[in-house]
Amino acid sequence: MKAFEYATALSTDSARELVAGNGAYLAGGNDLLGLLKEYLVPGPDILVNIKSLPGLNRIERGENSWIIGALVTVGEIERDPEIAKVFPGLRDAASEIASPQIRNVATVGGNLSQHSRCWYFRHRDTVCLKKGGDLCYARNSENRYHSLFTGNDCISPVVSSLATTFAALDATAIVLRDGQEARMSMAGLYQKAWKEVAAHNSLNPGDLVLRVEIPTARSRSAYMQASDKHAFDWALVSCAAAAEVVDGKLNQPRVALGSISPVPHQVEAANQFLEGKTLDDATASQAADMILAGATPLEHNGYKVPMALALIRRTLLKLKGEA
Amino acid sequence: MPSWPEKTKYISKSTLRIDAPEKVTGRAHYASDIQAAGWLYGMILRSKWPAATISAINLEKTLQVPGIKAAITAKDLPQTVRFYGEEIAAVCGATKQACLDALRAIEVTAHALPFAVREDDAKKDDAPQVWDGKPNVSVSARGSREQGAVDQAFPECAAVIEGFYTTPVQLHNPMETHGNTVSWTDDGLTAWASTQAISASRDGFAGPLKLDHSQVRVITNFMGGGFGSKLNGSVEGVLAARLSREAKAPVRLMLTRFDEALAVGNRPSSFQKIKIGALADGTLHAFELDNYGTPGISGGDVELPQPYIYKVPNSRVKQAHVAVNAGASRAFRAPPHPPASYAMESAMDDLAAKLGMDPLELRLKNDSNEVRQREYKIGAEKIGWKEKYQKPGSSPGVVKTGIGCAGAAWGGGGASKRTQGDAQINPDGSIEVRLGVQDIGTGTKTVIAVVAAEMLGLKPEQITVKVGDTNFPPGPGSGGSTTCASISPTVFDICANALQQLQTQSGIADARGNNWFAACKKLGVTPLVVHGQWQQGDPSRPLSSSPAYGVQFAEVAVDTETGLVTVKKIVAVHDCGLIIDTLTLESQINGGIIMGMGYALYEERVMDDLSGVVLNPNFETYKLSGIGDVPEIEITLLNMPERGVIGIGEPATIATAGAIANAVFNAIGARVYSLPITPARVLAALGKVPPFTAVKP
Repeated sequence: MKAFEYATALSTDSARELVAGNGAYLAGGNDLLGLLKEYLVPGPDILVNIKSLPGLNRIERGENSWIIGALVTVGEIERDPEIAKVFPGLRDAASEIASPQIRNVATVGGNLSQHSRCWYFRHRDTVCLKKGGDLCYARNSENRYHSLFTGNDCISPVVSSLATTFAALDATAIVLRDGQEARMSMAGLYQKAWKEVAAHNSLNPGDLVLRVEIPTARSRSAYMQASDKHAFDWALVSCAAAAEVVDGKLNQPRVALGSISPVPHQVEAANQFLEGKTLDDATASQAADMILAGATPLEHNGYKVPMALALIRRTLLKLKGEA
Repeated sequence: MPSWPEKTKYISKSTLRIDAPEKVTGRAHYASDIQAAGWLYGMILRSKWPAATISAINLEKTLQVPGIKAAITAKDLPQTVRFYGEEIAAVCGATKQACLDALRAIEVTAHALPFAVREDDAKKDDAPQVWDGKPNVSVSARGSREQGAVDQAFPECAAVIEGFYTTPVQLHNPMETHGNTVSWTDDGLTAWASTQAISASRDGFAGPLKLDHSQVRVITNFMGGGFGSKLNGSVEGVLAARLSREAKAPVRLMLTRFDEALAVGNRPSSFQKIKIGALADGTLHAFELDNYGTPGISGGDVELPQPYIYKVPNSRVKQAHVAVNAGASRAFRAPPHPPASYAMESAMDDLAAKLGMDPLELRLKNDSNEVRQREYKIGAEKIGWKEKYQKPGSSPGVVKTGIGCAGAAWGGGGASKRTQGDAQINPDGSIEVRLGVQDIGTGTKTVIAVVAAEMLGLKPEQITVKVGDTNFPPGPGSGGSTTCASISPTVFDICANALQQLQTQSGIADARGNNWFAACKKLGVTPLVVHGQWQQGDPSRPLSSSPAYGVQFAEVAVDTETGLVTVKKIVAVHDCGLIIDTLTLESQINGGIIMGMGYALYEERVMDDLSGVVLNPNFETYKLSGIGDVPEIEITLLNMPERGVIGIGEPATIATAGAIANAVFNAIGARVYSLPITPARVLAALGKVPPFTAVKP
């Protein structure tokens, strides 16, 4: 990789200053080092270690909302006994990410900001649309892992399973932008990737995810993914659902899917349809159909449609405490 | 005539690997751990074009990169590149980063040429030719044959099925990548090689570099797997040697995981159109195969031994090579049996379904081999065939269960009859056994210790085993499942000779066991050195033989909504003659099954037809069985000492994919005709995937 300087920031202000120009934040490094080693992004002149920024590794457990710092690791989420009770879907999502070793270093902020896993984007010798080329190879060739929905010519999907789950929980990301804290829904955090080929989220250079705020309004949540393998594999489709259940009826239900769109895939009409409903197989299936409506499968990813329909139904039914 | 002892203390029992402490503590030095004095890193620049003519390579800027000691071109120019990843140039330098920077500083002038990386594209009439003036498709005379009256026979059948069974190109992906540390000076060449064959590796240096064999020494103390892809000399080895000569320093050139997917071998694909028919009682009557597959740019074997372990009186087989612009195939654990077994055994179950027969019965009816007949009965008992077998697709619910089975035969090479070795027995009773074989991770050193301990009445830990050095007496390459059958009789012979001489010299009638040290003491100051070589032994109770037979059963659960296949259990019943070390034998079978499971469910090299690159040169998207995927494995071994030693490395991996594929078919009642059996393919087989209609632009 290209030679770079290395610095450790002790405050967010100094982190911003250090990274300004041509720098990159370094936390777990899982995504960044892969990009640098393969020369997939213009190499930064400086890596700014943010692991020592104060307060960002904390979990604050409030009555109405929890705050999870960007430096909290995926492994910590997986092992936190209270998260398992309050946000069981989040725990399940964390437990499916990569391997235990990676989960121990991967951070919430890094998981949210990670780049595309499209195998054309990640390949050192293909210059795809996302890398400034003039062809989306996937659209015309090997697209088994790609999106069913997109708002642009790139079909690489968002793969952050935390983002999928945060979307269902209606969590807000707090991002340091130009010295100010900006609040972004998960839809907001990714909306730029829907429209812009080169974007994989809405973060600008220098933006830093500080923490995620999760309302406790939905006491039931669930996450499920389908993969080629049983462990240490990316989701082909992931699904998260969250709601409050009052007298057997759904309150403020939300469903989100990952790996089928450049953004966590959410259909507001389906959420509204589920509001006040008693969950049963038929209701869940109806919601699933609404969520997948308009999907445009490519040559090799049509299997994601039935897979997604099944996952939505199962995840929703899990909110009842049934698989 | 010599034969194995009937009562044994170590043979056919379980002995821990004698080198386990070294391995688990990191004291075992693999080729990739060697740090010769003053060594440099070596790296290879590979073609980013799947086909091109390279007219110029400018190394000037490369040589100016700080830390770089040498840079060379791989071939004379102009160079015709025929696959993505072909070697173009190589550099060596003091650090990894210097080499990486140096590779990027190489200026290559290339003219890109049209290419075809997929079989179906290469088969087209107007496809670019991989080899100039030679059609991409060539029918194999060796792989094509006909017997009986096929066209008459099919109408005579009570049931006929047809299927198009396909298998992908599989990559070896040994844990230790290919590579060497090479030191080439005026005194000669020494290579610490990650090789399955030190002798062939030596020849692979000596030939291209025009050195006498006596000037080349290859050392392989430990190596991390090869599965057939490290049996010969190598481009990367020769490049490392040339770099060493030029830089006047040892060069360690180990390939990266990325490189492993491109240029160091693979198992050819197969596209098998099978038609098979049986009479009403299930007797196989007619068979037809039309198969093609690609060995990449090589002339490697794509011919499958179909109809595999079954005899069909009327059969016609036609097979063809398809050249594509991709890395050459190499021998890969049991070539070419796994694709043959998968397709034939799948066709057997499809035929059984058509006949309304239990597929195990169909096998017992048509498989004349007595050993497998026994094995099927044992395996059926272990998996609970009677209780668990149900009509295909009749398992209730969303997650359906099923069982299946498949058989294997491995003739292999038996043993290398030229295997030799020696032993030095010291007056203090210590003994060193030396063979020019190599331990590729299978437990070869332990086998030597077990046999020697048994013969001499000592304990395995009292035997010092030295292998992996061309200075030792010549041993076999570790391929064809021949190693154990080659070295065991050789060590037997060394020990017999040792005892004879020791007894003569010492005057002690039986120098074994308790008398060993007293006998050795009588040697005075001069150690005893004895030679031995492979022996057939008593023909009625040979020291080694072949072939090996095996059957495997699989039990799976298939989620019909997500398509995920979970292997719940594998029952493996194998014969391998006289078992030497049960523990390492079972490890071999476990490994073979886990590898076979990867072939069945996960592994596939993916080529991109637009760019010509290998799209999954990593473990992220070239998927291997992981610990979360591995099922309970129950192994039953038929110990048949009267047959002598027979290797197990290859037979263990042959039947797995067929057994799993049949279990999936039994569970869901629909055939997945292609490996790997991914969730996408399961859902498609179940008719759940909406048809794709858009036209490619």
